[in-house]
Amino acid sequence: MNAPGWMQRYLNSRYNMEVANTFVDKQMHKRLPPHTGWLHIFGSLSLLLFISQTITGILLLIYYRPTPDEAHESIKYITTQAHFGWLYRQVHAWGATLMILGLTLHMIRTYFMGSYKKPRELTWITGVMIFVLTTVFGFTGYLLPWNQIAFWATTVGTESAAKVPYIGGWLQYSLRGGDAVTGETLSRFFVVHVIILPWVLTGLIAVHLFLMRATNLATMERVGEEKKTPEECGIPFFPVHVAKEGVIAVLLIAVLVTLSVLSPWEIGLPADPLNTPPHIKPEWYFLPSYQLLKYFQGPYGAFMGIIACSVPFGLLLLWPMLDRGKERHPRKRPLAVGLGLIGLIGALSLGYLGHVSGLEKSYFGARYHFSEKGWPTRVADDAPPADNGGH
Amino acid sequence: MKEQSTDPTRRGFLDVFIGICSAIMGAFVAIPGLMYLWPAAKGGAGEEVEVKGAKNLSAGESNILQVKGKAVLVVRTNSGFEAYSAICPHLGCLVKWEGVKREFLCPCHAAVFDSKGQVLSGPSPGPLSPYKVKEVGEKVFVSAV
Repeated sequence: MNAPGWMQRYLNSRYNMEVANTFVDKQMHKRLPPHTGWLHIFGSLSLLLFISQTITGILLLIYYRPTPDEAHESIKYITTQAHFGWLYRQVHAWGATLMILGLTLHMIRTYFMGSYKKPRELTWITGVMIFVLTTVFGFTGYLLPWNQIAFWATTVGTESAAKVPYIGGWLQYSLRGGDAVTGETLSRFFVVHVIILPWVLTGLIAVHLFLMRATNLATMERVGEEKKTPEECGIPFFPVHVAKEGVIAVLLIAVLVTLSVLSPWEIGLPADPLNTPPHIKPEWYFLPSYQLLKYFQGPYGAFMGIIACSVPFGLLLLWPMLDRGKERHPRKRPLAVGLGLIGLIGALSLGYLGHVSGLEKSYFGARYHFSEKGWPTRVADDAPPADNGGH
Repeated sequence: MKEQSTDPTRRGFLDVFIGICSAIMGAFVAIPGLMYLWPAAKGGAGEEVEVKGAKNLSAGESNILQVKGKAVLVVRTNSGFEAYSAICPHLGCLVKWEGVKREFLCPCHAAVFDSKGQVLSGPSPGPLSPYKVKEVGEKVFVSAV
């Protein structure tokens, strides 16, 4: 892949382009390990989504107004009046969900293939930081439409922050910009969402990509016994892997547009600080933590709950330092794989219980009411249906 | 071989001096920045808010209003008016007054409080905070305790 001839001549006559050309050539034709396949595209998928979020986010900013009086109206305007505004808003909202899904799958692949081991510990740590910051991105962006669900989900989310020992009250007051969720909160979340996080995440992604390129993709060989991929065996980054990424990019656009058309996000009712709608729940990626918090009650319950929710993330961050075994193959790492599976099943189960808690659901013709802790109780067949608040 | 001196050198002194000066300069820049982020308090300590249409409420009915930005439920009882914070101590949702049952109910996680704001059931770690109610002629005012 080269720049057009006239551009090369122009640049060569002014700068020493050899260093840049050699670097680009080396990166483009780098040989990836032979086992590199479709499972390795989740990272690129997440990167593509980050780019899509940046572009659609900038487009939304043109009409969005971050004040309590205008935020909801401006979202309405984007959706109903601005040319293709509905599409950009939907692609942005769905993109956020898919980006977190893409990052989760990328981390699962990396974990089970043991790719976080030496010398790639820092790549993993920056990856976990990217994941956590992306969820913060989701949390801050969720409030911006200033609708009922957003307002109350943010109220509940920031109230949880108050349960952090010693600094909880201070943390909540700073996050909200006061005692309650108000226009000050909207301004703060807006600044974090559109200025601070994009730049911090861009920097982290740059470091992550640099580290990934510097150490190349991991093979399945033992730590310290990795052999350099020979030219004839490796998969060329360009054009083979790039072609796969191209396929994924096209599919991604198709999926985003399909979801936007078939399952659009509602604008909802404007935020009303004096009326809490029933069954407020956070976005799906916060459901496991949301549900876990409910099992800790009493005077120190919230504190214990926050510790329980923080431990998995702490473990993820420090995992390369805790798992120092040399094996990478999942069959030779039963403890790490077992713990990973337990964590995954636990998160999925808690997420599902969080989703159904407080609601009535039907399974195999029978109706069940799920308590806030997720315990099901059979509902009499002749009982009137419960109000699930749109869930 | 020349023995290394343990006495402070001019270069060492300058390193420490420049380090201390940089830290002081950094603090001068950072402290106002951090203070700027800390929200300024709004509303006076004894702010009283009038309950609109209070006298039109029947016994067992309620009204919701904001005192210093916080939601407060005013309930008319047989003997007068009582006011409690509408903010559930569990996770901050607003409780609703169930006039028939004479209970406060949180719609988010089903915490239930009696008519005095005490926890009856559910995940709330504490009661609803009471507010001060003052009746002046036909008007009713609520303020923080």
